[in-house]
Amino acid sequence: MLKIDIQSTPPIAALICSGRLVLGIETETLRCLATSRPEKHLLLDLSRLHVIDAAGLGLLVELHRWTQEHSARLTIAKRSVRAHRLISLTGLNCVLDLSDVPAESATAGESGEWRTMTA
Amino acid sequence: MHETRGSVAQSCSREFVLTGNVAAMAPARDAIMDFVRDHCSDEQQQLDVLLALQEGLANAILHGCQGDAGKLVRCTVEISPSAIEFTIRDPGPGFNTSSARDESEDGSNLTEHGRGIFLMRSLMDEVTYRHNGTELYMKKARSSGH
Repeated sequence: MLKIDIQSTPPIAALICSGRLVLGIETETLRCLATSRPEKHLLLDLSRLHVIDAAGLGLLVELHRWTQEHSARLTIAKRSVRAHRLISLTGLNCVLDLSDVPAESATAGESGEWRTMTA
Repeated sequence: MHETRGSVAQSCSREFVLTGNVAAMAPARDAIMDFVRDHCSDEQQQLDVLLALQEGLANAILHGCQGDAGKLVRCTVEISPSAIEFTIRDPGPGFNTSSARDESEDGSNLTEHGRGIFLMRSLMDEVTYRHNGTELYMKKARSSGH
């Protein structure tokens, strides 16, 4: 199961992922959600992610490329130890824009709109 | 999904059969992990096995079955005092196993695909494709203290 908490504080949208980002409805949900956001800066917080598989890692690359092609930006905010290990193992730490700041901190003080989606 | 089981001495084995569509993967993976979980030495090993199993089943379903629910994937799990072993068979035509990405990842793979076999090889102690790539064998050694 994947739970995504969304905080919109234009031009930033923070997507806080909890659970599993794996092949199937989980990756489909995040893909649809991320590519439908109107904000130009997506902050993806993976600090509560227990499992991410090759499809999930592939989705990070896909979203990275998608934001570049749409004059937007994707930042991978704080990662769980597990997610960080796999991102490093696959060399994606050299490709993705990584930050150690939790997504909530990046939007702190802003009175944004909060929503939650579960897949 | 259905399963058969057997055991010899301190070893045990079970076969899981699932349909070749993506929706069948999560419940099958979770059922297999329910069987395997208590035989892992710690949570780290559980997560390694879970992810490798996820990748093996995903490849069998996506490439071996083309997501066709009319086809079947068979996963045999064998647990012995020394190791946990998986054999995943799909009905597909196979693939050129020598072309599978094997080198260390260096960030040069900018595509959305091609990391599954690398992850399996990184997380398990042995990963081998047999029968022209239609059978995947994976082994994870159990810690001696378990």
